[in-house]
Amino acid sequence: MPGPTVIERLVADVARQIRLRRAEFYGLRGLFWGAVAAVVPLLLKESLGGWSYAAAALLLLAGAGAGALWGVLLRLPAAEAARLADRGYGLQERISTALEWAERPDRTPIVEALVVDASTRVEQLGARRIIPRRMPREARLVPVPLLLGLVLAAAPPIPLPQGRLPNFSVSRDEDEEKAPGDRSGDIQQAERKQATRRDPVQRADVQERNLSPRLGGGGQSQPGDLAAVFKDTSLGGRAPDFNSFLKKGDERLRMLDSLDRLPDLQSDFTQSQAKMVFQKAKALRGGLDPNKKVSPEKLRELLSEMERLGRKNGGQGQGNWSGDAFEGMEALEGGQTDKAMEAMERALNKMRSMEERGRDGKSLKGGRESERRGGRRGDKGSGQPGGPGDEGDFPEGEGLLPGRGKSGAPKGDPTARLRGSPFDVGVEGEARAGRKQGIDTNMVGRGAQMPSRMQYMGVLGQYRKMMEESIAREQVPRDFQTQVKEYFQSLDEK
Amino acid sequence: MAQPPVSSESQEQRVTEFVNAYQSLRAEVGKIIVGHNEVVSQVLIGLFAGGHVLLEGVPGLGKTLLIKTLAESLELSFSRIQFTPDLMPGDIIGTNIIVEDAQGRKHFQFQRGPIFGHILLADEVNRATPKTQSALLEGMQEGAVTVSGAAHPLPAPFFVLATQNPIEMEGTYPLPEAQLDRFLFKVRVRYPALEELTEIIDRTTHVRAVEVRRVLTGPQVLSMRELVREIPIASHVRDLASFIVLATHPQWERAPESARRFIRYGASPRGAQALVLGAKVRALSEGRFNVSVDDLRAMALPSLRHRLILNFEGEAAGVDVDDLVGQIVEAAETMSGSGKEVFLR
Repeated sequence: MPGPTVIERLVADVARQIRLRRAEFYGLRGLFWGAVAAVVPLLLKESLGGWSYAAAALLLLAGAGAGALWGVLLRLPAAEAARLADRGYGLQERISTALEWAERPDRTPIVEALVVDASTRVEQLGARRIIPRRMPREARLVPVPLLLGLVLAAAPPIPLPQGRLPNFSVSRDEDEEKAPGDRSGDIQQAERKQATRRDPVQRADVQERNLSPRLGGGGQSQPGDLAAVFKDTSLGGRAPDFNSFLKKGDERLRMLDSLDRLPDLQSDFTQSQAKMVFQKAKALRGGLDPNKKVSPEKLRELLSEMERLGRKNGGQGQGNWSGDAFEGMEALEGGQTDKAMEAMERALNKMRSMEERGRDGKSLKGGRESERRGGRRGDKGSGQPGGPGDEGDFPEGEGLLPGRGKSGAPKGDPTARLRGSPFDVGVEGEARAGRKQGIDTNMVGRGAQMPSRMQYMGVLGQYRKMMEESIAREQVPRDFQTQVKEYFQSLDEK
Repeated sequence: MAQPPVSSESQEQRVTEFVNAYQSLRAEVGKIIVGHNEVVSQVLIGLFAGGHVLLEGVPGLGKTLLIKTLAESLELSFSRIQFTPDLMPGDIIGTNIIVEDAQGRKHFQFQRGPIFGHILLADEVNRATPKTQSALLEGMQEGAVTVSGAAHPLPAPFFVLATQNPIEMEGTYPLPEAQLDRFLFKVRVRYPALEELTEIIDRTTHVRAVEVRRVLTGPQVLSMRELVREIPIASHVRDLASFIVLATHPQWERAPESARRFIRYGASPRGAQALVLGAKVRALSEGRFNVSVDDLRAMALPSLRHRLILNFEGEAAGVDVDDLVGQIVEAAETMSGSGKEVFLR
């Protein structure tokens, strides 16, 4: 007669199958993460050399091996294997029940029959795999790091950025070139003297030069170009050299002494080219010294830049200012500075009009408002100044300020007072003490005197009475009675 | 009582006898009742599990006929009570009457009511008043009734089969939860299919006398009830039964979403007992020596459907309790770790 050993043999076989499937599952998962880790030494092939291949292969194998080992060593109670055997072979819990009850002291006589029945059925079973193969989600992604690793292995080494520490000691060569002494101190003193000699007009010159590389697109930083100094990314790739910093950095240190000359990096990077040209033109016309004449060279440079921008934007009828700029340049060639200035004014107006049109597309205001503004602008097709728009983009006196203009609609950003004080907005509120913290915004302050509020107070008692009657008549379901009462109670608390 | 035989062959013999008796009883009922295989199975399971069964269905589906046929197939006494609003508890239990002995002395003598029978058919039980309905409570639970301080045991086996009509609810007294809980199963009698209806017409409109044999005696039924309780159940199957019953409780932290939404009160521990006992009988009736998960699934509906009380939302949404029980069983299987990828844990 077959005994429980037959059942135990079956359970052991199923346990082996489970361990195999677990090893496959967790092995694949480990392979994925091992492959991901193997990419790192291949990326560092330049520095690791031939070792990178060995390290990558080792990581790959270690990941898969560790995963598989984890799967094999995972805890597997015999009862669980018996349950899976029951399910796999369709034995309707005969194996697990027999295995569990065969050892129990309180087993009934019928358990003997159960064990015999289960063993007989197990003996009739053919050997087959009953545990399905399960793929981890990572299995689908395994080819990605593997292919990446293969590509990296086949590709030449990737040059890595030099990560040397800066040399804080003065180099011996430079020491030999110059006599010993406090060289940096000398340089800084000399530069400080130069800085104190510069007048405000020179500062304006410097600012003008700041714009030219960005507008011209040359990308060449010139001496004295402060914004270019701050934007100089060519230094990023080089190893930091403290000695060169002592030489070049003096200029940056000098700039820190005069904050008013520092370029506004934020505005430089966020504003459009047209705005920058506009600001530059404004500075030329009267920003620094109204009595000082604009030099023809600067004016020509500005007109040239405006003409280039106009061409870049393409001929757009009224909005094309390149023609005006070109006229200005011709007038300047003929020595007519005033005519050139007028041409520049016209070009600037057109530029501003175009800027406003561009903003309309991104505005959150409704179409009606946009149409109204567009129509009005159409009337001023010649590009007269004073078109409606946000003041923030243009200096005072150039655009419409909030509150000015013909339209009654609010214009521009809220005033600084409203923005700074949130208590001016809305109805006053007060914290409510209760089971849950809350704030009432419609019970006190100006809102409390509103007619709608008074009506609400008048009918509240009436509704409460109706609620109590409904509950008494059991019209409200039992489950919701407490909820309804709590709701009215919360109104009372207010 | 004699010790049952211990050898596996004798145990197999007992199980075989059970299966044969079950099948023969079923065959006798099948002579009269057409179709309703599931209903007949559940009623027989209720009989061998030692519980009482409530049958619910519209009039004319053969509920009463089924019970009468079952009673005829067993060598047991049968009583029928037609419940009406004016029925009194004494009409069911019995009452003390004054009798005069030979010496001319008068004394009270207990006159037994119809409850003193092996099989009791409580027809349209929801038409009697709650007071009368509650007269059944003690008998169903304790197997005895108490009149004037004296307990009168009911004959064993005592099996109550009650019927009720889900429509025409005017003037009825729906059974309270406490009384519903006394029923092991609630069986829904569905309308017959086309073939079954045709067969019913053929059988009942021809001159054909069908004789039902008595295939089981009272002691045999009791012996089979004992065998049922010997059937072992694996711990994970028993745990699943507990999970199923607990999952009907919306207050339970692991209760499924459907239970939380639509149930006001879940099943009592009697529900778990009914589930496991029913599963044991079902296993035996199929010749198995152990309870399987399939047995629990099959017995979940009759065991639990009358023990779940829907809340307002459930009633308003017209939630079918049978669907709800199905969802709860599925959720409980997931909770008890019967998922497909259990081998990966």
